[in-house]
Amino acid sequence: MEVSKQASPTPTELIDWLNDEGILELDWDFPEDGDLAGAGLDSMAVMQLVVAVEDRWGIELGPDDLTKANLATPISLASLIVKRTQ
Amino acid sequence: MKASCESFDLAVIGGGSAGLAAAVTAARQGARTLLVERYGYLGGMGTASLVHSFCGLYLLRKEAGAVLANPGFSEEIASRMIAATGIGPKRMGRVDVLPQHPVEFVRIADEMTVAEAGLEVRLHSKVTDLQRSDEGWSLQIGGRCDRNQIFAARLIDASGDAVVAELLGGGAAMAESPVLQRPAYVFGVHCHAELDDAFKLQTAGMIVDGVKAGEIPQDAMGITFRASGRTGEVFASLDLTGGATVADFSPLDSVCLTQLELSGRRTATAVMRWLGTCSDLWRGSYISQWPVRAGIRESRRWIGESILTGEQVFAGERFSDEIALATWPMEFREDAKGPKLRFPLDDRPTGIPLGCLRPLGIDKLWVAGRCISADHAAQASIRVMGTCFATGEAAGRAALQ
Repeated sequence: MEVSKQASPTPTELIDWLNDEGILELDWDFPEDGDLAGAGLDSMAVMQLVVAVEDRWGIELGPDDLTKANLATPISLASLIVKRTQ
Repeated sequence: MKASCESFDLAVIGGGSAGLAAAVTAARQGARTLLVERYGYLGGMGTASLVHSFCGLYLLRKEAGAVLANPGFSEEIASRMIAATGIGPKRMGRVDVLPQHPVEFVRIADEMTVAEAGLEVRLHSKVTDLQRSDEGWSLQIGGRCDRNQIFAARLIDASGDAVVAELLGGGAAMAESPVLQRPAYVFGVHCHAELDDAFKLQTAGMIVDGVKAGEIPQDAMGITFRASGRTGEVFASLDLTGGATVADFSPLDSVCLTQLELSGRRTATAVMRWLGTCSDLWRGSYISQWPVRAGIRESRRWIGESILTGEQVFAGERFSDEIALATWPMEFREDAKGPKLRFPLDDRPTGIPLGCLRPLGIDKLWVAGRCISADHAAQASIRVMGTCFATGEAAGRAALQ
């Protein structure tokens, strides 16, 4: 299905999207500064994430983007995506 | 039965985690026991397929600290492995696992079996024929160039593929592909760099790049690397499709299995070549060990007096005739999106009824390991080695009663 490329996910939208894509299973009240690694964002999930991010926002995340700091929380991940879409 | 044929109280088919536990347990109770294994060492998935974690040993719990679910053989194996590796249980997400080293597991299995005077291990052997009588089982055990006639009063099928059902001509079932769990492919890698979380995440990005560039097969998506506990040694794990699509895969078909092994090695080779071009940290690393065989997660299993279901595992049901506890969440690996874990309500353990080890309507036969009587979803929990030790031990005990 063709999905329109959208920019600027908020951290909360990102949490919903991670759940919808089946990349992570986050509780409905997962905080915007919650620990994504602790919630299961390991190297395997990150591979799915990169592919899904490209599908949705049309941006390519490379190995250098995939740092612990960038992937730490919904806030940091959303800001990485926003930065790359600009 | 010919006078010259060897006679045993019990024969155990398959020397993986369940068969090892069953045979050692039975021999310790004084039974003259034969353990038949098709490869040159015992341990099955934990050795020949290089699966390097014992899952299902511990209860699910929120609190820190791993608590063994089943006493007895599981406890003994766990303490022997911890003594060998110096590595205790680890919390990974919501589960506790015990990292194990396949090389140590081979040695531990040797030592445990040699210690039992009443236990005879027959390596490089398969059951090629069997007949049932009122007294028990007449088996033909064959190596590459020999055929031996054996009599066993009781039989345990710990083959993982319900091979006794094949020889009897029925009694077992298999989930229909594409629901079948995808096989694993684990290989050893020598790597100088320290495999910390940052390096693993960066590597994930390199893999995605490699797949997009067409340099490595799609099967490489989802590959994981884990330090073995030995300096410079890493285990890499892939999930394979097993054919053009998952629906083409049958774990009982040697043509399929051949393609599976080839695709595992092809993907592994391409991945390591690609990573060496991506990063200085990977340059100079190499594949140090192939598995004897790909890791089959799900295959044919018996239809027993009881059939454990996914609903029962989800609810954490308990039974008056339970022989062990299953604690691993139902781990589904049906598609390329990686594992999906379904946890039971309130992290409850599930009882495994004795009836799951009793093939329906066949006397003097028990079953242990991943081919006990369970539906597809429940099998996704009970297949792990920690639980196989427990069902093996229980079968070894039940078969002698």
